[in-house]
Amino acid sequence: MQYPQPISKLIEGFTKLPGIGPKTAARLAFYILDMNEDDVMDFAKALMNAKRELTYCSVCHHITDTDPCRICQDKDRDPSVICVVQDSKDVIAMEKMKEFGGKYHVLHGAISPVDGVGPEDIYVPDLIKRLQDETIQELIIATNPNIEGEATAMYISRLVKPTGMKVSRIAHGLPVGGDLEYADEVTLSKAIEGRRQL
Amino acid sequence: MHINELHLKDYRNYEDLHLFFENRINVIIGENAQGKTNMMEAIYVLGMARSHRTPRDKELIRWEQPFSRVEGQLTNRHGPAKMEVIFSKQGKKVKLNGLEKKRLTDYIGACTIVMFAPEDLALVKGSPQIRRRFLDMEMGQIYTVYLYYLSQYHKILKQRNQWLKDVAQNKTAKNEAFFEVMTDQLVEAGAEVIQKRFAFLQKLENWAQPIHENITQGTETLAIDYVPSAPVDASMSTDEIKTALKAEYVRLFEQEIRRATTVLGPHRDDLKFLVNGHDIQVYGSQGQQRTTALSVKLAEIELIYEKTGEYPILLLDDVLSELDDSRQTHLLDTIQGKVQTFVTTTNVGGIHHEMLEKATMFHVTGGSIDQTD
Repeated sequence: MQYPQPISKLIEGFTKLPGIGPKTAARLAFYILDMNEDDVMDFAKALMNAKRELTYCSVCHHITDTDPCRICQDKDRDPSVICVVQDSKDVIAMEKMKEFGGKYHVLHGAISPVDGVGPEDIYVPDLIKRLQDETIQELIIATNPNIEGEATAMYISRLVKPTGMKVSRIAHGLPVGGDLEYADEVTLSKAIEGRRQL
Repeated sequence: MHINELHLKDYRNYEDLHLFFENRINVIIGENAQGKTNMMEAIYVLGMARSHRTPRDKELIRWEQPFSRVEGQLTNRHGPAKMEVIFSKQGKKVKLNGLEKKRLTDYIGACTIVMFAPEDLALVKGSPQIRRRFLDMEMGQIYTVYLYYLSQYHKILKQRNQWLKDVAQNKTAKNEAFFEVMTDQLVEAGAEVIQKRFAFLQKLENWAQPIHENITQGTETLAIDYVPSAPVDASMSTDEIKTALKAEYVRLFEQEIRRATTVLGPHRDDLKFLVNGHDIQVYGSQGQQRTTALSVKLAEIELIYEKTGEYPILLLDDVLSELDDSRQTHLLDTIQGKVQTFVTTTNVGGIHHEMLEKATMFHVTGGSIDQTD
């Protein structure tokens, strides 16, 4: 090992992050050596705090620093609609849209036997329990449009439908603002399949 | 479609090979084990981004070299095109006109290929797996949507089989509601696959029938049947196929649990070739089986033309000399002036003189090829 131990430790730490290889890790590590000490302290604290102070909301399982989370506590949001997503990152994406005024439920994964994830291993049973609350009237399932996300959506809908609750699945097909001619055959055929009446 | 130029770098036994093809018919002559089939395989790889001989891409890289490249200049219906496939230890990359394509479906189809090799006799004689592979490969070239449903089907199948296995080993709860969800997903994709196979085979049969009749001078009538593992038939709509499949999965639930695997569906289906009403896998002679394989391959050429508006490249690896004069004449009639054809042989003696007159000849010796007149 040609690096002194403190810096090789730092490089090693960076390579554990997604999308960062040994070269980028070395570049980041050397950059940090050149930063002034206060900034480095702030950065280190931010890392620690993110890990220490964030927990998961006991209601919706979104990452939060208060429990229940700010979205669950927000009196202006409609408690009768719940949007089910796979991941906390999906909540952030939905929130950027600023159009959805209901609440969320984060599953933390999708059902996938190949990965050893069954319905009980993600927050599905918890969602069912949560739905016993009379104020909830509608469920929007926004899991990813792949095999596992689709299976998870279909499974939840199967459990919830008999209660008479309104369950819907987000649409997929052509991207907004895109040109039809650039869409691939499969996307187009899915868009045709999911067409709606005008 | 016409391949004008082929450039191989560290591909199999070729270190660096650069060839130009001005002619429609190209005959490659050489002793055994000199690299004739490797060259045919390279053309196949150029179009299909995979070998017809092996699923392991690493085998295509020349011994102890870091990577391998197949590059071709061709003219297709859109004009000139440059295609490139690169294999390395990290995987493969495909480029069309210099742009890397992340999805193979964006690449395959720019150069369609029909290959007829000795192994194709297994299409008639071999296992159902070979016939399914034939269907999937040929359909994949012309129907992108088919490839999508097929890959969805296999992903769901994998999940479903894993679940059945886990249940058998008590690793997971026997959650029947979830199992039903997976079955529904399997039925959705599976019905599309089956329906598209029915439609494809109907078309293939329509083309193969007159060709076969012609080759056999009217003595044989060829039929191609799909043999599904579920009670479905060609007259059903996709929705009817879904209903029938679903009912069959429900009926076989206990059996699937017991055997811990998915017991029916397109991954268990087969095809059957009938000559004058007899299954030639069982009752056919060698000659009949060979003629059938040839008819099917020639039908594919026409089918690709019908679908894409241009003829594919035809690769005849070591099969021409096995066909008698009248079959060769018929083959020549079919490709005459429209299909660029590559033929390999150890000896020109077995090849029809008319074919040889029109061809450009290439001699292969130990990894190098020379054009001769």
